[in-house]
Amino acid sequence: MDYVFKIVPQMLDGCFVSFQVFLITIVLSIPLGILLSLGRVSGSQILQKIIGFYVWIMRGTPLMLQIFFVYFVLPSVGIRLPDFESALVAFVLNYAAYFCEIFRSGIQAIPKGQYEAAHTLGMNYLQTMRRIILPQVIRIILPPISNETITLVKDTSLVYVLAMNDLMRTARNLVQRDFNITPFIVAAVFYLIATLILTVLFERLEKHFSRYEQ
Amino acid sequence: MNKIKAQNIWKKFNKLEVLKGIDLEVNEGEVVAVIGPSGGGKSTLLRCLNKLETIDRGTVVIDGEELCHETSAGTEYVNKNDIRRIACKMGMVFQQFNLFPHMTVLENLIEAPVNVQKRDKAEVIKEAEILLSKVGLSDKRDEYPRKLSGGQQQRVAIARALAMKPAIMLFDEPTSSLDPELTGEVLKAMRELAEEKMTMVVVTHEMGFAKEVATKVVFMADGRVQEQGTPAEIFGNPKNERLKAFLNVILK
Repeated sequence: MDYVFKIVPQMLDGCFVSFQVFLITIVLSIPLGILLSLGRVSGSQILQKIIGFYVWIMRGTPLMLQIFFVYFVLPSVGIRLPDFESALVAFVLNYAAYFCEIFRSGIQAIPKGQYEAAHTLGMNYLQTMRRIILPQVIRIILPPISNETITLVKDTSLVYVLAMNDLMRTARNLVQRDFNITPFIVAAVFYLIATLILTVLFERLEKHFSRYEQ
Repeated sequence: MNKIKAQNIWKKFNKLEVLKGIDLEVNEGEVVAVIGPSGGGKSTLLRCLNKLETIDRGTVVIDGEELCHETSAGTEYVNKNDIRRIACKMGMVFQQFNLFPHMTVLENLIEAPVNVQKRDKAEVIKEAEILLSKVGLSDKRDEYPRKLSGGQQQRVAIARALAMKPAIMLFDEPTSSLDPELTGEVLKAMRELAEEKMTMVVVTHEMGFAKEVATKVVFMADGRVQEQGTPAEIFGNPKNERLKAFLNVILK
């Protein structure tokens, strides 16, 4: 137990790095995903194709490969980013693709009659989306968003490949230094706590946004 | 004065011609029932009036304002903002109600008057409450649509359309997805509206309504208006063979 207390401060530092990656990715990739999904359901064939291609690339290659790409390949065309920012760019671009698909499926699940009713009431595109469509989409997409968010918690551990001291790398360093696997267990507990918090949070959100379904 | 004037309306879906040169005129205070076999283009015609469907050729004038006019190439619509403004001069009631499920009954009614017409919210709420009591649903003010029966939902949909103070009301088979015992309450609300001299176009299979409430009946089949006239003429002395056959089947 003493050993656990001794390593906790270091591991909390690691948590903080992981948390930053998590939070910034969420905050940036969800709005980007919404924008992409609106393009994907828009009337423009070209836009649909381009975004479809983007989604295919982002979902079709490993996130780790994308991190390497941003870190090692982009500098050769003159874009050189620090470790943390490199990781973030890859995370945001990758997760935006997944969120795009989630939002697209949600938007397409809304019956055409909702758009028609909005039209006959004189609403423009923005009013229709903001007041009628998106509030209904949220209820539909919360479960897959919850899924994706929990996956992200664990995906943050991938930043170790850029030598960033996140929770996972901190744990591994401690294990190698002290020949003791306890840090792995502590790390697992931290990940589980984060996941539990998100699970409860999403359950509440789902309840709130489906109040009209009861 | 003409509230609706549609001339030479042509519309096709892919290769299928659905409307083949329709003319329709609706005067102020008229209640026009559009009847005819399924697939005859009734609903499509209604949906062309507020540009839920885009026509290929023809002219549509609503309440003295042109929505589109016929050109040598087919038709030319006015700009988007004007389309929206003209379209919402007509309240529309759909077969599937299309209430906003995430809003309460009252919120459904006040959404567009407040956010589109930018009217004073307190005033809109007052009017909405009067409308709800007219359709007999004051006690459902704060319920979500899901909690209501089909007939109640359709009456809310009528009230929602009326909250926009439309010049014309369009009904697209308003009772077709209701259980038989619920159609009465919706037809009653429509009848009361007709008595207040609302200009109405009703696509319907309810021959009773067409007979008793309509001032004009339009019979459509195969994308054309086959015959039109007063209910007495259409039901008492039909001339068109298609109409005779249709009435034979439906009134038996």
